[in-house]
Amino acid sequence: MTAADPGARPGTGDEDLRWHRPSPRLLRARRIEVALVTVPFALIGGFVGGAASAAIGLIVGLGLAVLGVLTERFLARRVAAWGYAERDDDLMVRRGVLIRRQSVIPYGRMQYIDVTAGPVERSLSLATVRMHTAAAASDARIPGLERDEAARLRDQLASLGEAQAAGL
Amino acid sequence: MTSQLPAYPGPPRGAPGDVAAWHRLHPLSPVVRSGRHLTGFLVLLLVLIFVNARQAGNDFISDLIVVAIVLVAGVISWAVTRWRVAGGVLLIESGLIRRQSRRFPLSQVQAIDVVQTGLARVLGLAEIRLRMAGADSSGGRLVALRLAEAQGLRQQLLSMTRSAPAAPAAPAAGSLQAAPAADQAAGAAPGPGPASPHAAAASSPAAAARGQPEERMAFRVRSGRLAVALALSITGLIAVVVIAGSVTLVSVVRQPGITAAFLPLIVGAVIGIWRQFNGEYGTTVTLAPDGLRLRSGLVQTTAETIRPGRIQAVRLVEPLVWRAFGWCRLEVDVAGPRQRRENRSEGRRLRPLVPVGTRADAAKMLGELVSAAPAPSEKPPGHARWKAPLQYHFLAWGGDDRYVVAARGRLRRTTTWIPLEKLQSVRWVQGPVQRRLGLASVRLDVAGRRVTASVQDRTVAEADDLLGRLPALARAARTQATLAARSGSARSGSAPSSGTSSSGTSSSGTQAGNRPFRST
Repeated sequence: MTAADPGARPGTGDEDLRWHRPSPRLLRARRIEVALVTVPFALIGGFVGGAASAAIGLIVGLGLAVLGVLTERFLARRVAAWGYAERDDDLMVRRGVLIRRQSVIPYGRMQYIDVTAGPVERSLSLATVRMHTAAAASDARIPGLERDEAARLRDQLASLGEAQAAGL
Repeated sequence: MTSQLPAYPGPPRGAPGDVAAWHRLHPLSPVVRSGRHLTGFLVLLLVLIFVNARQAGNDFISDLIVVAIVLVAGVISWAVTRWRVAGGVLLIESGLIRRQSRRFPLSQVQAIDVVQTGLARVLGLAEIRLRMAGADSSGGRLVALRLAEAQGLRQQLLSMTRSAPAAPAAPAAGSLQAAPAADQAAGAAPGPGPASPHAAAASSPAAAARGQPEERMAFRVRSGRLAVALALSITGLIAVVVIAGSVTLVSVVRQPGITAAFLPLIVGAVIGIWRQFNGEYGTTVTLAPDGLRLRSGLVQTTAETIRPGRIQAVRLVEPLVWRAFGWCRLEVDVAGPRQRRENRSEGRRLRPLVPVGTRADAAKMLGELVSAAPAPSEKPPGHARWKAPLQYHFLAWGGDDRYVVAARGRLRRTTTWIPLEKLQSVRWVQGPVQRRLGLASVRLDVAGRRVTASVQDRTVAEADDLLGRLPALARAARTQATLAARSGSARSGSAPSSGTSSSGTSSSGTQAGNRPFRST
C-alpha cells in the first residue's frame, strides 16, 4: 500500500465531493514530534543499558531508534488518511489507518470551534481545528492545516453553524 | 443555636406567588447548606470543649468565640442572599465581600429539581436546583425554602420555562399568563445576552393560581423488588461473593485479621448499593403537561421535572441475572450535568425512570416516551459472528424516520433509542477485524454523557448507506420537530395528552403534545 492511499472509504453518495487534505507539512511536523520523543529515549536507553555493558547499551539504543523509525513509516499513512469535506449541511472528517473513522457533524450542531497549535505545529505555521458538539463522543479534529486555511475554516464553520444552529 | 437567628424579615408569607419582588431564603438555610460540615463542626466543638475542660485554664471563652464566629458567618450569609424572578430570568445575589449576582434565563433551564437532604427534611425545608445545559455544574441553587414554598416556586418557574421559549413563535401560548405578565414585563430588566427575546413571558400570579396541573401516574417502583434486584446486580453479587468468601476464609483459618484486605472492597460495594437504593427508592414517575415528574429517594428525596423535548436518549438495560426474572431497567439521558455534590458515579448515571420493573412496565414507559418505538429487528450479517461471537445474539438495529434503535451486549443487553432530531453527529468506524470481514459500525452520538447508539457490525454497504442517509434524515426530523413545537406549544399548555396512546400511534404523526422527545 502506498503512502498516499487512504484505503477504502464509505461512499458519500456524492462522487464529485472534494476532499481536502491537511498540509503536506503535517507529515514533517509529525516526524519532528516522533524524533523529539525517539532521540532522547534512545539516548537515555543507550546510556542506561551502557552502564551494564556497551553491547546492551548499543542494542537498547538501536532498538528504540528502530521503533521510532517504524513509527515514522506508519506516520505517512496516518497523515495521508486525514481528510475533510465541507458539504452543504455538514462537515465530514475521515481519519485512521488501522481503525478507520469517518464522522459527519452537522453545522447546526456545532457548539464552538477551537483552533490550537502546539510548538511544533506553530514553528511550521500549522494549526489544528477542532469542532465541539454537545455530545462528548463526537470527535471532529483536523490537524495540520495551513494557518490561513485554519482561520478560513474556523470562520466558515462558525458562520455556517450560526446560520443553521439548532437547539438541544 | 437557632435562637440567635433574627426573625424572618422577608416578604409577607401570604404572597409567595409574587416572585418578582426580592426574596430571602429561609433563615435556617445556612444550617441546611452547611449540611455535613455542620456535623463535623459539632464534633470538633465537643472535642475542643472536652479537651479544654480537662485542662486547668478555662478556655471556655475561646470556644464561645468560635461558635459566635460561625453563627455570625451563617447569619451574614443568609442576610446577604436574595433572589427574585424578573423578565424570565432568575436572579440570585449572594456574598458580602465578594458580591455575586447570577442570572439564570429560565428559557435555558433543562430541568428543575426540588431536593431534600436529610437535615432539610427534619427541618421541613427543601432546596431548588436549576439544571442548565452547560457541561459544568453551573446551575442555580436556592437553599433552602420551606417545602411547600419550594414546590410552589417550582411550579411557577416551570410554567415560565415552558412559556418562555414559545413566546416568540406563538404568543398565544401564554394566553393564560399574558395579561398579568404584561405589566411586569414593562418594569422588568431586559434579559441578558442572547436569551432575552422572551422577556415578555415573565412571572405571573396566574400560573400559581392555576395550581397543580393534572398528573397521570406512569410508574412506581416496588421497594422489595428494588432491594432484590440490587442484590442481584454486579455490585451486589461481588459483595455477596466477597463476604461469603471472607467468612469461609475466617472459619477455615480462624484469623479474622486476614479479611482486612477485603474490607475496603466490601465497604465500597455496600456503600455503592446503599447509594443506589437510597437514590432509587420509591421512584415514581408521573406524566404532567409540563413534562415527566420524577420523585425518588429514601433519606434524601429528589423531585425533578424533565421538560418535554429534553430527553436525548432512552436506554433499556437487561442484565443477565435480571433477565431470568424478566426484569429490566429503563433510563433516560437528559442534557446537562447532575448538580454539585453528588458523587461521580451517580453523576455519570443516567436518570432511571424504571429502576427495576417487568418488561411490561418498561414497554409502557417506553410507549409514553417514544410513540411507536421501532424495535431492533435488523440482524447483522451472519459472518459478523466471527467478530462478535457472544454479542451476535442480541446485535440488531431498527429505525424509522424519527428514531433509531440499536441493541448490543451479551451479559448486559442494552437497547438504546435515539430520536433523530437529537442526533449530534454520526461516525462510521471500521476496525482491522471488521475490515477483513467486510463489516463496519455506525455510531450515533447525542448530547450528554457519552450515550451512543452503536449500529454494530453491518456490511460495509449498509453502513455506508446509513452514513449517507442519517444526516439528511436527522435534518428532516429536526425541521419537523421545530414545526411541531411551534404548532404544538400552543396546545400543550391547555391540553395534556389524555389518552394512553402508546405503540399504536402512527410513526409520522404530528402529535407534539407532551411526548418528552417531541418539541424543543
